[in-house]
Amino acid sequence: MIIPITVGVLTAGAIYLMLQRGMVRIIFGLSLLAHAANLVILSAGVTAWRGEPFPDAAGAADAGDPLPQAFVLTAIVIALAVTVLMLAMAVIGHNDDTKRMPETGETHRR
Amino acid sequence: MSLLWTLVISAVTVLATFPLTRFLGRHAGWPIAALYLAAAAAFWPAAAQVMAGDTPTWSMPWVPTLGLDLSLRADGLGTVFTFIALVIGAIVLAYSTAYLKPGRNLTFYFYMAMFTVSMVGLVLADDLILLFLCWELTSLASFFLIARSGYAGEAASMRTLLITFLGGLGLLAAVTAIIVRTGTTTLSEALAHEVWDTSPGFTAAVALLVILAAFTKSAQFPFHVWLPDAMAAATPVSAYLHAAAVVKAGIFLLMRFSPAFHDVPVWNVLLITTGLVTCGIGGWFALQKTDLKKLMAYSTVSQLGLIVATIGVGTEYALAAAILHVIAHALFKSGLFMMVGVVDHATGTRDVRRMPVLSSAMPMAFWVTVLGCASMAGVPPMLGFVSKESILTSMLDSPFGVVASWAAFLGVALTAILTFAYCAKIVFNGFYDGRGQAKWPEDRPLHTTPWALGTFAAIPIVVGLPLAFVVGILDTPVGRATAAMLPADAEEPHPHLALWHGVNLELITSLAIIAVGVMVILRRRFFFPAREHDTFSFDGADVIRVINDTAADIGKALGALARADNPTRHVAVQFVALAALVLGGVGVLVARDELLPVQEGLVSPVDAVVLVIIAGAVVVLGRASSRLAAVVALSTIGAAVTVQIFALGAPDVGMTQLLVEALTVLMIMLVLQRLPQTFGRGPRWGNKAALVLAVVGGLSAGVATWALTGRRDRSEIAIWYLTEGPVETSGDNVVNTILVEFRALDTFGELTVLGMAAAAMVAILSTVRDRYLDPPPEADRNYVAPPEVPLQAEGSTAYRAIAEAWGNAVPMQIMVRVTAPLLAIISTILFLRGHNSPGGGFIAALVGSSIVALIYLATSRDRVVGPPRLPLRLVAVGVLIAIGTGIWGMLGHASFLEPLHGYVFDIHVSTSMVFDLGVYLAVLGLVMEAFNLLGATGGREGTRERADESVEGEISGPMDTSRGERYAETRRGIPGRRSTYLQQDRPPRPGGGQ
Repeated sequence: MIIPITVGVLTAGAIYLMLQRGMVRIIFGLSLLAHAANLVILSAGVTAWRGEPFPDAAGAADAGDPLPQAFVLTAIVIALAVTVLMLAMAVIGHNDDTKRMPETGETHRR
Repeated sequence: MSLLWTLVISAVTVLATFPLTRFLGRHAGWPIAALYLAAAAAFWPAAAQVMAGDTPTWSMPWVPTLGLDLSLRADGLGTVFTFIALVIGAIVLAYSTAYLKPGRNLTFYFYMAMFTVSMVGLVLADDLILLFLCWELTSLASFFLIARSGYAGEAASMRTLLITFLGGLGLLAAVTAIIVRTGTTTLSEALAHEVWDTSPGFTAAVALLVILAAFTKSAQFPFHVWLPDAMAAATPVSAYLHAAAVVKAGIFLLMRFSPAFHDVPVWNVLLITTGLVTCGIGGWFALQKTDLKKLMAYSTVSQLGLIVATIGVGTEYALAAAILHVIAHALFKSGLFMMVGVVDHATGTRDVRRMPVLSSAMPMAFWVTVLGCASMAGVPPMLGFVSKESILTSMLDSPFGVVASWAAFLGVALTAILTFAYCAKIVFNGFYDGRGQAKWPEDRPLHTTPWALGTFAAIPIVVGLPLAFVVGILDTPVGRATAAMLPADAEEPHPHLALWHGVNLELITSLAIIAVGVMVILRRRFFFPAREHDTFSFDGADVIRVINDTAADIGKALGALARADNPTRHVAVQFVALAALVLGGVGVLVARDELLPVQEGLVSPVDAVVLVIIAGAVVVLGRASSRLAAVVALSTIGAAVTVQIFALGAPDVGMTQLLVEALTVLMIMLVLQRLPQTFGRGPRWGNKAALVLAVVGGLSAGVATWALTGRRDRSEIAIWYLTEGPVETSGDNVVNTILVEFRALDTFGELTVLGMAAAAMVAILSTVRDRYLDPPPEADRNYVAPPEVPLQAEGSTAYRAIAEAWGNAVPMQIMVRVTAPLLAIISTILFLRGHNSPGGGFIAALVGSSIVALIYLATSRDRVVGPPRLPLRLVAVGVLIAIGTGIWGMLGHASFLEPLHGYVFDIHVSTSMVFDLGVYLAVLGLVMEAFNLLGATGGREGTRERADESVEGEISGPMDTSRGERYAETRRGIPGRRSTYLQQDRPPRPGGGQ
């Protein structure tokens, strides 16, 4: 049972980074959290079977659970999309401090 | 069929308003009125059947799976209200042709027609759902008709909507309860159900809900506030909706449900007391008003109260009196409202304190108003007199004992005095006294009244006069309507309406009322002005505003608990909650020894290696203050996780992870060059607190994974996919077939997320002006000048190697020439073989995207890869292809996104391949957009200009607008000539909150 420890380490790093002020660190934290979540989902397919899920080519006897793999594949690409969007916001005003609103010339009611 | 024709003609009228108003302007009222009369004529055969004692019905299946029918049914009640809605509507529309300002007036005619069709649907509906829908439509139409009157109507229309929709919710609850309890959606069956006799509690509850709905619509206390508000609407709207139709919808609802509730005590008590209270305060407030239209509004409130109280009595005689008064009131009140419009048109004011003497200047209008007011005040020989006498009789004959009957009788008599008084005020203050004569310049002429204005205002009032003498012809309609308000097994009522009943208590009371009224008239110079102040220092609008503001304040206070501009607070709360849940829950499981045994063989040596690498890299990442170092640590973790994924037997996932990791690191590097070199300060609570929370959160995540995974055999669904998947799809790559076939809808959702991310980036960045998005060095607090490298003179090779980029890019460019085609081929192969071997749309697209990245990196300075509008178009085409295959599957297999298989030259092909192409394009579009936007490093083009170009095409500079601003508001930075913005003067789409 090593993967749970990996998940724990990744999550701890993720939380630590997401509590920081800078957007870039938060993005990094989110990446770690995505890694952790992906590993949790993969390990939900039970890691005792680690064969590649190609029944005809590799045989189904030892093949891993394909459904979590499909979920994780989707999740990875969505994480890419989220990361890109957050990067675009980090770059506004050349400052990624989330405690200070970037200067945008707008006046907004609070 | 007659019923259907009526409804169809009314519905066609709604559509006909578009061409008619275009060609005829305000005179569209004529053909529309003719259509109303045609609808009424179409209803004539049905009405004849009803009068003969029949109830014609019509129905067709509506939602067969729910057992809903679109069913119509005409009884006496529906007939009376249908004619009121159509005939008064026709008169009011004819009046409008002269009243409205010249112009198209589309919204007026459209909403009037929409209102009429929903009103006709409401009164003819025999299905509870249809009844509710029409009810809400009348509310909506009424809202729009008030709201279209400009600024004055804005707040008033919102208050109307608030109140009437509150009642709508009540009706919805009532309708739902009835359907659930009686098991039928048919109104007539539900009303005849035995539940009303056997279950008093349920009956009372539904009665209360119906009363709520009716009271809000018919402006009964305390919901009466919206009606005076609604006077902001145009006069024809008031004459039609607020005298004859919309307020009568509430009355109609009470009458419709009367068969079930007419002997329920809570119904009787609430209707009579609220009705009389409303009648009283309406009359009192009417007396206080100086604006004739406001006066009319409160008078309507008062008269509606009288009708409600009469319905509440619930006897056959009382119900007949109520329907008679509905008819009488619809006639005289719509006429009087239109007369106010006539006066307003002639004098330009509706305030009695500014009126000149009109009785001599406008004798026709004066005498018509006198007739109308006489009818309202119950002066013989008007129709209003007959109905008021009937109401007095029904109060006296009520079944609630002597005391209650006399109290109700006296209540009606007292409110009748108020009615008489405000009627006198209309006639004398409005026309005869000329209270404003002194302020009225001698030579200022009155505006001439157009013939249509005066004639159609007079018609409904004038017909009330002869009708009173031959009131016997109303015996049958009133009788049939009364029959519809009584249970089906009740005896057929045969009312005998007559002007003269002999000398009786009611007549003496009427004479006494008139006598008091005459005294008021004689003392009017003192009496009326003394009343002209408000009783309360606040009105209904203030009450609603206070309720509204209080609710908003509470909402703000609640929202403030969870609101934060930065993510820290949300993250902290979530992970504390997660830790509490996991550690507590797993603790319980361990304590009870309920954990399943761990599956054997979960661990592989690779896992340990990966863990060591990840642990080290996470520590480095957390401690790094240099952004660059952090990126290195992050990519190390990404690589380690990729190894772990490969070790878990997921080659597709591993390849995706590897490619995404590479692209992400590239994008991060693009952003980092514009950000400070080191990270900023730590969190407010200090890094120690963050560390504690991180350790607790990490521990709980690890414990959860340990306790909840790896403790079972292979799942059935995994076995099914592995054995049946290849058979079903003839593809050996099960993960890929899950993505594009079994769970294609998930994948479809995902690729729209990708598309949205690309569009959202453009949208967000184009709200920030260029100088704030990419501040110039002097305004950028984090700007770090490029380091001064003391090298040989300008022009030397060493100098060029540092200061000029192009030389450094040459090797890369040469490499791209070789690798780009190679990558393209690899991408194609991965795409084509995805069904059977590792590969597929995502992986192929990521390889394709890496070509974009290579091309971008190989240029000596930042520039757009490909045409600027290409990325968003790729995304759009990708999503459209995916939708297309979905619909294709739906046509071929009756299921969205179901793949179609076939053979082309003995090669198996499937539409899932086309779907995968959609995925490919969406991913490629997102990555291209990201490189184009994030890569803009100042230089010639800034980020803002790139964002604008993604939508507008090549332009010469950033637009100096925020989305939502108009072109005229911009001052400089005019977009280039090729921008559709400038060519077509089509401004960027308005953003939210503008």
